[in-house]
Amino acid sequence: MTSLFLPYLYSIKNRFLPKGYPSSRTLILIGFGAILFLALYLVSLKTINYFHSQNELGVILSLKIFEMAWVIVFAMLIFSSMVSGVSAIFLSQDNEIIFASPASLSELYLMRYLTTTFYTSWMMIIFSLPVFGAYGQVFSAGPVYPVLMVPAVICIASIGSGLGLMVTIILVNLFPARRTKDIVVYLSLLFGILLYLIIRLLRPEELADPERFPDFIEYLSRLSTPATPLLPPNWASGLLTGYLQDHYIDWLLAGLLVLTPLVLYFAGEWIMNRWFFPGFSKAQESFGGYRRFTPPEYSPSPLTWFFRKEMKMFIRDSSQWSQLFLIGALIVVYLYNFKVLPLDRSPLPADAIANIIAYANIGLSGFLIASLSTRFVFPSIGLEGSGFGLTLTSPLSIKRYMLYKYLFYVLPFTILMIILLVASNHLLHIQGPMWWISLITGLVITWSVVAMALGFGAMYADFKAENQAAVQGGFGAILFLFCALSFELVTILIASIPAYRLVRGWRWGIYTSSPVIIQTTAVLLVLLLVSVLLSTICLRKGIEKVSQNFQ
Amino acid sequence: MDVLQINNLTKRFGNYTAVDNITLSVKAGEIYGFLGPNGAGKTTTIKMLAGLLKPDNGSITINGNNLAEKPRVCKQDTGYVPDRPWLFEKLTGLEFLQFIASLYNLDREQFAAATQYLLKTFDLYDWQDHLIESYSHGMRQKLIMTSVFMQEQPLLVIDEPMIGLDPKSARIVKEMFKQRAQSGTAIFLSTHSMEIAEELCHRIAIITEGKLHISGDMNSLRAEAGKKNSDLEDIFLELTGAWELKDIISALRNKA
Repeated sequence: MTSLFLPYLYSIKNRFLPKGYPSSRTLILIGFGAILFLALYLVSLKTINYFHSQNELGVILSLKIFEMAWVIVFAMLIFSSMVSGVSAIFLSQDNEIIFASPASLSELYLMRYLTTTFYTSWMMIIFSLPVFGAYGQVFSAGPVYPVLMVPAVICIASIGSGLGLMVTIILVNLFPARRTKDIVVYLSLLFGILLYLIIRLLRPEELADPERFPDFIEYLSRLSTPATPLLPPNWASGLLTGYLQDHYIDWLLAGLLVLTPLVLYFAGEWIMNRWFFPGFSKAQESFGGYRRFTPPEYSPSPLTWFFRKEMKMFIRDSSQWSQLFLIGALIVVYLYNFKVLPLDRSPLPADAIANIIAYANIGLSGFLIASLSTRFVFPSIGLEGSGFGLTLTSPLSIKRYMLYKYLFYVLPFTILMIILLVASNHLLHIQGPMWWISLITGLVITWSVVAMALGFGAMYADFKAENQAAVQGGFGAILFLFCALSFELVTILIASIPAYRLVRGWRWGIYTSSPVIIQTTAVLLVLLLVSVLLSTICLRKGIEKVSQNFQ
Repeated sequence: MDVLQINNLTKRFGNYTAVDNITLSVKAGEIYGFLGPNGAGKTTTIKMLAGLLKPDNGSITINGNNLAEKPRVCKQDTGYVPDRPWLFEKLTGLEFLQFIASLYNLDREQFAAATQYLLKTFDLYDWQDHLIESYSHGMRQKLIMTSVFMQEQPLLVIDEPMIGLDPKSARIVKEMFKQRAQSGTAIFLSTHSMEIAEELCHRIAIITEGKLHISGDMNSLRAEAGKKNSDLEDIFLELTGAWELKDIISALRNKA
């Protein structure tokens, strides 16, 4: 085996087994992963069981969802392989050492192919195995099913990253040197957005609703339409569906699944040998810095310059701002879901169900805010790298630095939350107290979550991180997300009682009594107090730790 | 015998020519200094020598082999020290050295003997089992020097060797360069330190705006600058625009 794998093996050993046995942090991560794995398996089991028990149609429907899940997994794998492929193959900092050595390009490709496949697919594999495994349990497929399913998942992951890497190497060579890095990021993102929009706008949920089709025959024909045989995920779903239903193994599909990664690997290796060096040389030229910028007006205010600096760093880093496309698509899809909600077909009164959804929407929007905070706010301190030292040595106090950072991020996040809540409330035709309840609770959550992200980001700042993906998947980021979501859940649960009373009184036209007003005010005050306390604690802890971390 | 031969080497970034038609050669046992102001094209040239950048024109021959045609053979023969070395943060010093040794197929005995000697010499012996992320800048520089000195390649390409080194380590590195050169290694050395260049280099080249301004030993440089008995700093300033410096210094003195 090539010695290029040594740094990875040593790094993994040093990170997870620093003293020869697993550290407590490693055990917490394994435990966390195991709980997630089990929870996902149980939820999938319950959902698939529900579909499966809905007579014959349920079986067809659950298998259709199975097929769609494979397509989604595959598309996401290609997308993430393309994005990581650029960083791994062309921009990785170790290239300077490895490529200057006599290691062959074939060895380099093998190392990049296997490590990229691992990095891009390990999470997908962990999430997909319990879901696909639950199908085996529901269909009583027996012990051979996992023997087919696990290699199928691995083959699909290998095909996805093989394709992604090949496309990346070719693309980098097609574009002019200075735009190379940026263009691949844009293309990859646009590819992902397009795919996401297609899946959402196709409205696969309609398949679960036979009434939407003029007649039952048309619905059945839509369900049983054979998926395109050219797509690799359909080979996997076809192979496993055959086994789930009739214990039949389609050897042609199995052969395709096993042979395609090998063919793609050798094709990728050929492309690497032919086009890697010109592309790598170009990728270095992208950082020439020959572009001239308009000189800014000097302002002696640190706040003004702090905002300018953050804004300029964000705008000039294409890997940062190009993600705004993705957020834009996310918002469109998010709001589109509210537009197509079939409220009229609910057994409850439409306005009651709309109010319930509007309340649940606070949690959903909060989840979006927490995810985006993990992406942008959490790594913002670590990203400053060694430049953070200059801030520490300047007369600007670290408290003021954190305050400025907070103000910079809380503003766009507040606007985003207002847009999400006001637009979805509008689409749900919400009027009365729920409009204000959702807005106030949503804003309290936003302000606290941003403060928590900054605090945790300071506590776990990694000033030497090679790439952001590693930071966002790190222990600190997972811990932040877990705490932020728990805080949101508790907030929504506490606020639910006065919210229910206020909305019920308004719907029935009952005069709001003093105890309800007092209770609402008290809950609001408690929520505010908890939020302020939590935010302050997180920020203080962050301030304490960040100076030590920087050492 | 020329270990390194560069012919008409050119590299352009868009409309900007970073390295413009450079031709030079370095013999076995020779230390060749490569000087120039910031942004003159030194690192771009070095990156092409290390096989990291593709030249637009010209050729590089290392130990008789063309770098474009036989990159692996040439890289096997070249030890490269970058100006800002990125090292694997989560590896220990010794693990890093083992990794580099494996890339260059260093045999076990040579690795053991060379690394233990060099680690002790560079005061890294007690740090060899610590993660690189805990190393200071100077320690990193010494580690990457160790990774090059533990091998015995015919050509060393070194970009700014002394940055971050303490005086003792700097002295050791200089002695090692001399010793390697005596044993027949060709050393291509880029530096901003005139003292180091003057003390170590047999021949010196000065590059400005991508072009090779002058190349030769100290005497020929003095002759070119028209400054007998001058040191390298004066010669360098004379050849790279000393008149500007004189104006700046006189303006500063007048202001004071």
